[in-house]
Amino acid sequence: MSTGDFVYTLSFYLFGVIAVIAALVAVTSNRILRAAVGLAVTLVSGAAFYILLNYDFIAAIQVLVYVGGIVVLIIYAIMLTSSSELVESRPASLRKALAFLAAILFFVFSVTAILKTNFSVESSESPPGEIAAALGRMILDTSSSGYVLPFEVISLLLLAAAIGAIVIARSYSPQATGAEKGKRAA
Amino acid sequence: MSLFPGFMHWLVLSTILFSIGIYGVLCRKSALGVLIAIELMLNSAAINFIVFNRFISPATLDGALMVIFIIAVAAAEAVVAMAIFVAIFRSRKTVDVNKFNTMRG
Amino acid sequence: MGFVFEHSWLIPALPFFSFLIVGLIVSPLSRRAAGVVATLSIFASAVLACWLCWEYFHLYPPGSHQPTFVAWNFEWLRYYQFLSVNAGVLVDPPAILLMVIVTVVSAFIHLYSIGYMADDDGSGRYFTYLNLFTFSMLGLVVAPNILQMYIFWELVGISSFLLIGFYYKKRSAVAASKKAFIVTRFADVFFLIGILLLGYHGFQILSESGAGQTGVQAFDFLFLNHPATLSALADRGILTAACILIFIGAAGKSAMFPLHIWLPDAMEGPTPVSALIHAATMVVAGIYLVARLFAAFAASGTALLVAAYVGAFTCLFAAVIACTQNDIKRVLAFSTLSQLGYMMFALGVSTMDNPLGYTASLFHLFTHAFFKALLFLGAGAVIHAVHTNEIWSMGGLAKRMPITHITFLIATLAIVGVPPLSGFFSKDLILAAALGNNHPTIFAVGLLVAGITAFYMFRIYFVTFWGKARSEASKSAHEAPLVMLVPLIVLAVFAAVSGFVPMGDFVRAGEEVGEHGGSILIPILAAAFGLIGITVAWLFYSGESPLSQLVVNRLGKAYTIISSKFYIDEIYLFVTQRIIFPYIGAPIAWFDRHVVDGAVNLTANLTRLGGVVLSLLQTGQAQTYGVWLVNGAIVLALCIWLFTK
Repeated sequence: MSTGDFVYTLSFYLFGVIAVIAALVAVTSNRILRAAVGLAVTLVSGAAFYILLNYDFIAAIQVLVYVGGIVVLIIYAIMLTSSSELVESRPASLRKALAFLAAILFFVFSVTAILKTNFSVESSESPPGEIAAALGRMILDTSSSGYVLPFEVISLLLLAAAIGAIVIARSYSPQATGAEKGKRAA
Repeated sequence: MSLFPGFMHWLVLSTILFSIGIYGVLCRKSALGVLIAIELMLNSAAINFIVFNRFISPATLDGALMVIFIIAVAAAEAVVAMAIFVAIFRSRKTVDVNKFNTMRG
Repeated sequence: MGFVFEHSWLIPALPFFSFLIVGLIVSPLSRRAAGVVATLSIFASAVLACWLCWEYFHLYPPGSHQPTFVAWNFEWLRYYQFLSVNAGVLVDPPAILLMVIVTVVSAFIHLYSIGYMADDDGSGRYFTYLNLFTFSMLGLVVAPNILQMYIFWELVGISSFLLIGFYYKKRSAVAASKKAFIVTRFADVFFLIGILLLGYHGFQILSESGAGQTGVQAFDFLFLNHPATLSALADRGILTAACILIFIGAAGKSAMFPLHIWLPDAMEGPTPVSALIHAATMVVAGIYLVARLFAAFAASGTALLVAAYVGAFTCLFAAVIACTQNDIKRVLAFSTLSQLGYMMFALGVSTMDNPLGYTASLFHLFTHAFFKALLFLGAGAVIHAVHTNEIWSMGGLAKRMPITHITFLIATLAIVGVPPLSGFFSKDLILAAALGNNHPTIFAVGLLVAGITAFYMFRIYFVTFWGKARSEASKSAHEAPLVMLVPLIVLAVFAAVSGFVPMGDFVRAGEEVGEHGGSILIPILAAAFGLIGITVAWLFYSGESPLSQLVVNRLGKAYTIISSKFYIDEIYLFVTQRIIFPYIGAPIAWFDRHVVDGAVNLTANLTRLGGVVLSLLQTGQAQTYGVWLVNGAIVLALCIWLFTK
């Protein structure tokens, strides 16, 4: 095995283990903040995977947006909604057992399905050229194989999400609620 | 199975992460814990896209673009979910999913 | 075929439509109109029946072959090709005879009831039920197959139940109606088993042999009376059993011993009802059934013998009890029982070679209908005037109610068998049949009962109509209104002259009934016994003689037993209340409540429990649903994958 391959293999297994352990922490930890951090570590490992597969631009996006945006958002929400010392009690054993069973079943089933399928694998060493520019061209491509429509739709989605979140989480001032209550009584 | 990480190895890895996410969704008591687990699942789906793009059709970048979309949608969803949790917390003083059982019976 | 043959279904149908119209429309509006409409419809039916009789005997005069044909047949319910339940109208001499009797007597009793029930608030209901009864009886009489006869048999039972319990506010009337219905129903279970036996084997016989015979059904009388069928049934060994089972049904309806207990109690109903149902028509349904199946009974000799002995015993038994009863209607009821015994043993002593008894029985049915109805109607007039049933509260009514007196006397002479009234001819024919077929014991019983009949009938005649009035009411009694007298007079005329009908020419089993063949000694003996009975009654009861009391004292204990009707009712009560209810009825009721109902409740409870268990899944928590969803989906996918590999 060449050095490159050796590094590749080692990195794969190393980051794989880190990702799995961090994911386990994320789903089983009592303390929510530890779970959030576990999520962050998993996501960063995900970025590492992307780099291993030569999609470095995507890795950068992952770290910037997913870890830097979403995980931080989660932590804000944790701060805003915690009533006690950020510790939650254990869920019921039956629930845990059934969930474990579901996870195991799914895993076995999927892996069996995957292993039985013959994928037509062409592995080449690297993806084509500069990813960012190619991605940009694809996003703004108005032909039938272009992605300009999903791009516009997603921007609409983000707008709607932002407006919706503001509306949902808006706090009502006391006199406004009082006036509405008064109107209903009359 | 050789030790060299081939196509199948990648897929198994992402399946492991997805299963862990399933466990979390079904078992976490806090709503935010559930959200964290969902993000895990989305991330593992994204890894799947990249892997397929890399090994099955390396000539195009469709998979990579899908990952960008996934990240964007995950962000939007997390934002709305946060807003809802904050609003619920304001009235119920808790985000314990087991307490939201008005559909009982 | 003339109009009346094709439209002979109108004869039962007119009373049926009248029943509906009177019951639903007229009776709520006006009681009086209900009576009039009901009576008119029965008269119309009577006219049609007499017309049918006239046409039939014009087409097939006496002495020629008289066919049985089915004027109307309608397939109602088909099980197999040879096994179906039909409705229809059968026309042959016995059916015509019964049709005429039922419609004519019923018409006059309707007329009488207009007067008798004039003061009763429920008279609308009464006429409805009377029409229902007439329809049911006619349906029974014209039935071409035994199942239709059974259906109308039950209908007649229901009409009887409704009419006996007409005074439903009287507890004794309600009890009597229940008793009548239950006893006849009990007998009908055996009847039904007999029918099913015949149907089952008849169906097999038809399927084996006549593949090409269309239109013949296993229940048809034409099929059941056919010699080929009867020999096939006898080969299978069930003919006697089926006939005896059917005879038990007939015995229930015709009140043979020991199923006679309902008839005396049935006198709780209004008197015209007793006249129509329990004297002239319904109780003869059993006789008619045996006559219908005469060929079958004759082929199985045992069944006929059973009928003969049961009939003879009932005849004697009822006559003896009648001597001790003090209620005028009770005496007449036991008298009916006794005369039914005559009819039954007349049928029982005949054979296919010498079927004189068949004719005799139906002849006696014919004459008995008139004089018994007349006796009851006369008793009704007396009761209406004196307001009591007890003969010892009556007396001296001959001067105060002359027409009733004369007609009652004519009827009494008829039942005793004094020539030239009708009873003489029919009773004489019966006795000749008994002797001619070598049943000397039964002949002797018949003669003896003729004497006893004379005694008890004249006992009530003398006590009621002669002597001094024994109570205030009978001093002030007055004659019945005209609408009640006309039927009495008409029936008296029939009772007097109907004996001159040469019944042997009209109604017979087989082809030729010869001359009655017995010696002249028989009518002389019968008349002699009758005269002895009348004389004894005159001695005891015409004046204030102490002779009757002396005899009662001498008999002592025996008299008490007889006047309590041999304690048969008490025996029945004991058996049912002490034995059947606690040891058979109670366990079955327990079983029904706890096992049968329990099983049903168990299924309901299991379903409910299932629901409760399943509702445990509905916790309202999204994660519960998620868990079951994921697990279920994967298991399902696994199953699909495994089964489609």
